[in-house]
Amino acid sequence: MQIVIIGSGVAGVSFAEKYRALSADDDITLVTWEDDGYYSRPLLSRGFTKTDIEQTIILKPFDKLRENNINVLCGAEVTAINRAGKSIALNGSWSHRFPTDCDTSAIPSSRQEKTLQYDKLILAQGSSAFIPPPFRPYEKLFFCLNSLVDLKALRKFRQGFLSQNRHPDWAIVGGGLIGCEVASDLAAAGDKVTLFHAMDRLMERQLAAEDSALLLKVLQDSGVKVLLNQAVQGFIKEENKVCVRTEVTAEFDGLIVACGFKPRTELAELAGLEIGRGIKVNQYLQTSDESIYALGDVAELPNGKLYAFILPIRNQALWLAEFLAGQKQDSWTPPVFTTKAKVHGFEAVHPYNV
Amino acid sequence: MPDYKKYQCGVCGHIYDEAEGDPDTGIAPGTLWEDIPDEWRCPECGAEKSEYDLMA
Repeated sequence: MQIVIIGSGVAGVSFAEKYRALSADDDITLVTWEDDGYYSRPLLSRGFTKTDIEQTIILKPFDKLRENNINVLCGAEVTAINRAGKSIALNGSWSHRFPTDCDTSAIPSSRQEKTLQYDKLILAQGSSAFIPPPFRPYEKLFFCLNSLVDLKALRKFRQGFLSQNRHPDWAIVGGGLIGCEVASDLAAAGDKVTLFHAMDRLMERQLAAEDSALLLKVLQDSGVKVLLNQAVQGFIKEENKVCVRTEVTAEFDGLIVACGFKPRTELAELAGLEIGRGIKVNQYLQTSDESIYALGDVAELPNGKLYAFILPIRNQALWLAEFLAGQKQDSWTPPVFTTKAKVHGFEAVHPYNV
Repeated sequence: MPDYKKYQCGVCGHIYDEAEGDPDTGIAPGTLWEDIPDEWRCPECGAEKSEYDLMA
């Protein structure tokens, strides 16, 4: 059997390794646009206080997976799913032929089309940063923090200031989970941070009101300036500064938009699969096409939930591997799990809403 | 029988149970938290040992 997985995050990699452990004979191919290896997405929120993060965030180089008889096509973009022919179309430089590294920059830019047949296709592309429509025209003016590529760009920008013996002055737009975590980590790393949030309390979707108040105090005590009830209208570029427009205009060195995530459902949608907020799956993580499954951030369960946290995602991936290997018959049920915001010094008293 | 404790990773929620250890990363069942090397990292998200908290 030919198993094809799209995505090299915790969902795709955990599934590939578990399935390989259970079935020695089937072909497993993992396709990903990433080049750096399998890395820890939660650690992105510690990306400024840890100096060696660009190395330590890598949990497994792709070659480690290849040694385990998992074929990895990295730096590859999937352009279409052909359900009738059970294949995917992809575009890439096929750096898997160069087993010692995945740095496609050294290879002449001969991007080629390729088709890959599957018997079972696993969609695990994760999510991208959600950019509210009013901010989209300004995309060149701000950073997001959703991938290791984003983190490296941010760190490089920040290093430009540190090498001149100064710390940058940041604006972060969005007081949800990621915005609060990044604000906390930048402040802990010594930078000046102003956090703009549209609502009257932080992380209002996850936290009880008292915990929002506690989080506000923790962030303020760490030096973050928190502005609530802010209607951010847009951004303006000024020479070396970028300005945030609310009722007033304030200028900063750098700007980060952290307004939530958006599951990468585009490919599935183009292929005609049923889509809601995510790719709709049944209790067996099967999409509306019986040969295609979805895992992690992209999978929307019948209860309408997306389980975008490491613990339930790993649980889904391991379950699906066992199910497809014929070792489980019962459907997937979410494990009991708790999460917490990775804000330095903050412990929520109440459980989260996820 | 020792009174085994559990520790939880503050980054991803992984639980280290002293009774079970973590054989995949070379930590034998029954290994107490303080006996795990400082370089050991969360097997699921790579966070450092210092990110773990004792569970109530």
